Amino acid sequence: MNPLSVKKHTYGMVLILFVSALFLAGCGGGAVETTPEGAVASGADADISEAAASTSDAFAHLNLDIPNVYDPPIDMSSVSTVNATVKFLEGDDIYNNVWTRAYEDLLGIKLSYKWVVDGSMYDQKLGLSINSGDIPDLFVVSPAQLLMYQEAGILADLTSVYEDEASANTRDILSQDPVALKAATIDGKLWGIPLTDASVNNASVLWIRQDWMDKLGIEPPTSMADVLEISRRFTEEDPDGNGAADTIGLAFDKSLMGSIAGLQGFFNGYHAYPGIWFERDGKLAYGSVQPEMRTALLDLQKMYADGQIDPEFGVKDINQVTETIAQGKVGMEFGVWWNPYHPLNLSQQNNPDAYWTAFPIPSVDETPAKSQYSSAIWSFLVMREGFEHPEALIRMVNFWTDNIVRSQDDSIRKTFLGDIENPDVVLYKYTPVVLWEPNGTIENSQKLRAALASHDPAGLNNDLSWRYRIIQAYFEQGIKEAWVEVATNGPNGAVPILESVLEDRGILNRFYGTPTPTMAVKLPTLQTMETEMITKIIMGDSIELFDQFVEDWYSLGGTEIVDEVNQWATDNP
Amino acid sequence: MVRAHQGPVRSHLPLILLGAVMAAYGLLTALVGSWLAKQAMQGAITAGVYRSRLAAFDQTSSLVAGILFLALFIWCAVVSTGIVRVAFCFGALASLAPILAPWAEDLLFKSLGLPTMSAGSVLAGAVTTLLFALPLTILFILLACGRGVPTGCRWLALASIPVVLVTAFYPIYVTLLAFLIRPGDPAVGRMIEVSSQVLKLRFILPGLSFLFLALISMRFARKQPLADSQASAVLAEG
Repeated sequence: MNPLSVKKHTYGMVLILFVSALFLAGCGGGAVETTPEGAVASGADADISEAAASTSDAFAHLNLDIPNVYDPPIDMSSVSTVNATVKFLEGDDIYNNVWTRAYEDLLGIKLSYKWVVDGSMYDQKLGLSINSGDIPDLFVVSPAQLLMYQEAGILADLTSVYEDEASANTRDILSQDPVALKAATIDGKLWGIPLTDASVNNASVLWIRQDWMDKLGIEPPTSMADVLEISRRFTEEDPDGNGAADTIGLAFDKSLMGSIAGLQGFFNGYHAYPGIWFERDGKLAYGSVQPEMRTALLDLQKMYADGQIDPEFGVKDINQVTETIAQGKVGMEFGVWWNPYHPLNLSQQNNPDAYWTAFPIPSVDETPAKSQYSSAIWSFLVMREGFEHPEALIRMVNFWTDNIVRSQDDSIRKTFLGDIENPDVVLYKYTPVVLWEPNGTIENSQKLRAALASHDPAGLNNDLSWRYRIIQAYFEQGIKEAWVEVATNGPNGAVPILESVLEDRGILNRFYGTPTPTMAVKLPTLQTMETEMITKIIMGDSIELFDQFVEDWYSLGGTEIVDEVNQWATDNP
Repeated sequence: MVRAHQGPVRSHLPLILLGAVMAAYGLLTALVGSWLAKQAMQGAITAGVYRSRLAAFDQTSSLVAGILFLALFIWCAVVSTGIVRVAFCFGALASLAPILAPWAEDLLFKSLGLPTMSAGSVLAGAVTTLLFALPLTILFILLACGRGVPTGCRWLALASIPVVLVTAFYPIYVTLLAFLIRPGDPAVGRMIEVSSQVLKLRFILPGLSFLFLALISMRFARKQPLADSQASAVLAEG
């Protein structure tokens, strides 16, 4: 054979193999995703520019479900808040944006705003407006305002319009939170539509520095005794390896309770539920004055004495605790599922190996611990009594629940919620009708985990698809900074723990809605007493201080509050 | 032992072994990484267990691989002459990358005290990648420039340069896009998928390059008359 022909053959073969290998490498992954996202992405700009044009054609390309449209259109007045952080697309403002245009073009509701103020001024401005008789047709109220304005007779009864008009999606979303509609019901009638969110999101989980556990050979905690032992070892065995005794086992700040580094999860491990109302012996009881608090307080006191707690916790606010976490000096904190996004991510600033894992709240005994959480219903949409079309509110809510919040259609999400490529413009902030799905966090996480298990992101919306890629980058490329997504939404992450909280490992605050009369006056003082008592005991005062606090709590108004809360429970079964 | 007929490279065996070991190491790390990632993504093991097992594997395998690379590069240099020897001497520096990879973060951020800029693993990965890719790039440039090196080997060396650079730096580029420059961009999301596959080729493709270099060189050498020492020289500077 001609040597030259051999050479040509060989070179050709080698080059073809190389090019093929590169081509396969490039195409292998891309082939997994079948959605033509390039087309979607390029359509995003078109969506926005179209939305900016005030024509019904702007929504023609969207697959929307709108059964009832006002023809001719009706006028509806409202009031709104716009904070300095709210950004608009060019040419838009709060009076003319994708939502006002959608309500008019798609529902036949011409929404106008009587006034718009900064969020901090809203309650005051609303009060002045209502007192002057200038009542908007649609507005947002707090639980206390709901009660006040209902008693004043200025709110429309929504009971019948809800029954007649609420779509299946609306009913489903509102029923996911068992107290949502109850909180808007007074004397058996519905006076507002609760703006729902995920209540279970504020349930406590235990966050532990996993890299420290690995380094010290510590197994995951199965009891509060394990938690105490982990705290001791984190304090005494120099988990950061710098040779200095500068680490603490457990972090919390002077407020003691909160979503970041709060103590409620620690107390929950002892079956104590500070700050919430739960059923005991057939009545609602206030958790902070129950005997289970004692054991937890004694253990905290011992931890403090052993140096496992920041000696300056009593003067440190959450920002200072965050700084301690960022410095890599904290081994554990009781927080909520999203803590890795902040502040736990900061612990990687000085140590790329730092990462945290969420655990369910362990129990002090054989009875499983329950994470406490409270309803996330803080405000309601209400209609003015006398407005001719109170059902319009239900139709606006239906538009949101049927078409927006559950939509997996990226065109719809980009048009009405916002585009990930333009994160400063959050479109849903322009409408008061925003009901988040109470189980949304859990359902999205389930979809994400199913996609991860099958290694197939097809069918995920852009947001979930991105989270999928980030988790993939962690496991397949070793990008340690992606642990945040793994620790929250990934398999064995924090969100799966919330599922167990919803099943049988959670305890919901049974009191919701407007503070009772005595509660409104005296509870702030009682809460201050409670914080001082806990702080003092942790720092070494006698546990008898707790007994004294319980006695004082009842004598300084607690007894009346308990009676009022139980009366409220009787009136609101 | 496979021998060239004549010339400064007295044996192709070290080159074959180098390519085979590098490709096998790449394949092994890709397989083990994929297996552990699959288990973790399915929830069969926790992220903590995933990390522990991967770290244990990396620390052992990369040390062994690095030492083997070093020995084989040195052997290649010993059996070659001229610019080819210089090339393999540069290549030997690449063997430090797998050895240092498990310790890169400690070295950079604890020993040297460099700032992590909240992207420590990315920076450490970039440094070790640089340590691997640059010597190999220089090696292939030298081979491609060597006038006495058979033409086929020179073309293959030339083709290997972008292969090494792309497999090394594309994942880093994508990571920077994903976490710093364009987070949330769906297009970058798809690049992450591609990047995961490219990453698996980081050792496999250079390993194949060395194997094909040996193959071409051997075939070339066999076809040349023994009298023509210049033409039969394999991977050698004339």
